[in-house]
Amino acid sequence: MTYRWVDHTADLELEIESPSEPAVFEEALRALAELLAESDGHSDATSTTRREVTAEAPDRPTLLAAWIEELAFLAESEGFVATRIVEINLAGGGLRATVAGALGDPPPLVKAVTYHRLTFEPYRDGYVARVVLDV
Amino acid sequence: MSKSHAVLLPQRLDDELWELPVGTVAGMRVPARVFADAELLAAIELDRSLEQLANVATLPGIVEASLAMPDIHQGYGFPVGGVAATDASEGVVSPGGVGYDINCGVRLLALPLSYDELGNRREALVHELSRRVPVGTGGRGAHEGVRGAHLDRVLSLGPRALLEDLGVGSEGELAFTESGGCLEGADPAAVSARARERGAGQIGTLGSGNHFLELQRISDVYDGAAAAAFGLRRGQITLLIHSGSRGLGHQVCTDFVKRMDARLGHYGIELPDRQLSCAPIGSPEGRAYLRAMAGAANFAWANRAALAHRVREAVRSVLGREAAGGTRQVYDVAHNVAKLEEHAGQRVCVHRKGATRAFPPGHPEIPVEYAEVGQPVFIPGSMGTASYVLAGRARSMERSFGTTCHGAGRRMSRTAVRKAVDGGELRRQLEAEGIAVRALSARGLAEEAPEAYKDVDRVVEIVERAGLAARVVRLRPIGVVKG
Repeated sequence: MTYRWVDHTADLELEIESPSEPAVFEEALRALAELLAESDGHSDATSTTRREVTAEAPDRPTLLAAWIEELAFLAESEGFVATRIVEINLAGGGLRATVAGALGDPPPLVKAVTYHRLTFEPYRDGYVARVVLDV
Repeated sequence: MSKSHAVLLPQRLDDELWELPVGTVAGMRVPARVFADAELLAAIELDRSLEQLANVATLPGIVEASLAMPDIHQGYGFPVGGVAATDASEGVVSPGGVGYDINCGVRLLALPLSYDELGNRREALVHELSRRVPVGTGGRGAHEGVRGAHLDRVLSLGPRALLEDLGVGSEGELAFTESGGCLEGADPAAVSARARERGAGQIGTLGSGNHFLELQRISDVYDGAAAAAFGLRRGQITLLIHSGSRGLGHQVCTDFVKRMDARLGHYGIELPDRQLSCAPIGSPEGRAYLRAMAGAANFAWANRAALAHRVREAVRSVLGREAAGGTRQVYDVAHNVAKLEEHAGQRVCVHRKGATRAFPPGHPEIPVEYAEVGQPVFIPGSMGTASYVLAGRARSMERSFGTTCHGAGRRMSRTAVRKAVDGGELRRQLEAEGIAVRALSARGLAEEAPEAYKDVDRVVEIVERAGLAARVVRLRPIGVVKG
């Protein structure tokens, strides 16, 4: 299970390879947590603060973008940075998840999640996904 | 950065204009053209911006050409530094053609004193600016009371709402703002609850990324008559405010990219990139977007007005009441916006994404005080280099839908520049060059290092040679406050 940030002139491109669909969503959460913790210098994996996240979309790539959007919104509006998934349920065109993380003062880095080069598809024995963030 | 993509080779049309003909990318309806010289073009070819420019040429109803300024760089969907005009009755409007930071733009204030008169109060002024202007945070320290019904008035009226309700700003400032600081047709009801929530606490905040306040001195005057008309003279202190519509604008774009993406099939629109998501201008989605975008643009002008108010407070605190009272707004221009305009007898929707309106002398939409010299255009360079004041020229109306460039244009990714530049070292280097720096983080400072940008002098030279805008004065930074 891996994610990596790819060089992009003005923005951040996230590439994920994972063995399962839920793991793609988990990797995206971990990548965002790393991004939002980096400047702030804190990341509390033991925190028990929890939030419910729901999203609906017509397809998996759009659902992945909606998921990151919801996590970025929690960070911007409440200062809540999700660091792990407690439970995630992918059913039909939507997802319902419980995430745990920490309340803090994350930098407002993510302006938006774009549809540019947005991908989420089967690859080898798992899945590959790509999403570009406007920062 | 290496070339990891198909290289498109434009044909030279003249000394400053290059073209990718129809057919370069499947579905192009018009050519794609970029203003550049051979050296800038070589830098532009390092990323995917030309491919993105060609993709824009596939938009239904696009007129004449998909255009790019010499500061073009890779964006998402549209390149940054792009201009696309679509027919107002047959064409589409694309939220990505404006970008997430709707009406990100710049406002230039001229202080009534020279660099020598400022003397050793420079450091204190930069410190006071950083103390009074909230930078990268979401809402802390924002203008209290801009919520609910009052937010509706800001969305409808822009900075006029701050003037009438809070006494912030002046009639003079409104007159020296593009479109008077208010796009017509704004409808608060078209702005989603989440956009309102993101924006409500953010009036009067700078934001992060490339947003900044820059204290400057005028180092060179190229056109004395135009400089005099703009109230600028050599050695004078100026202050540039670069910010936009904050989370509210980001959310408006997000909402409408999603909404239009879901309706592409209904309108029979096929696109090479989902981020070009669009809808016919006259469709329910197109009309709603233009109403919401106008609201976000008005919000951004109000945001810069609130920031200017805080700047004046800092000036008053450090330099006194007379200096604050004599601080004059030269102009305020948008870098990211879509507007319905008349060009060559045709009504078009001009999308400017990282590009500046540059109307020539005599155009009815510029202040009467500037009628003889053209609309002021502000081109922020990078920290440590220079910025420019330009004036719009007549050929911009013939060649670029009344548009010129907006900055130096990035050439390095944020990741790459962070690897190459140490934020702390950069701060020391800038201080040694006489530039006082206040930044939220060393990382954010490093990402905006001068090395990350193209040569602003060359970018400006190209637009001047192309006849889009002409140099008036050059500004050297003496202090920076960064989100």
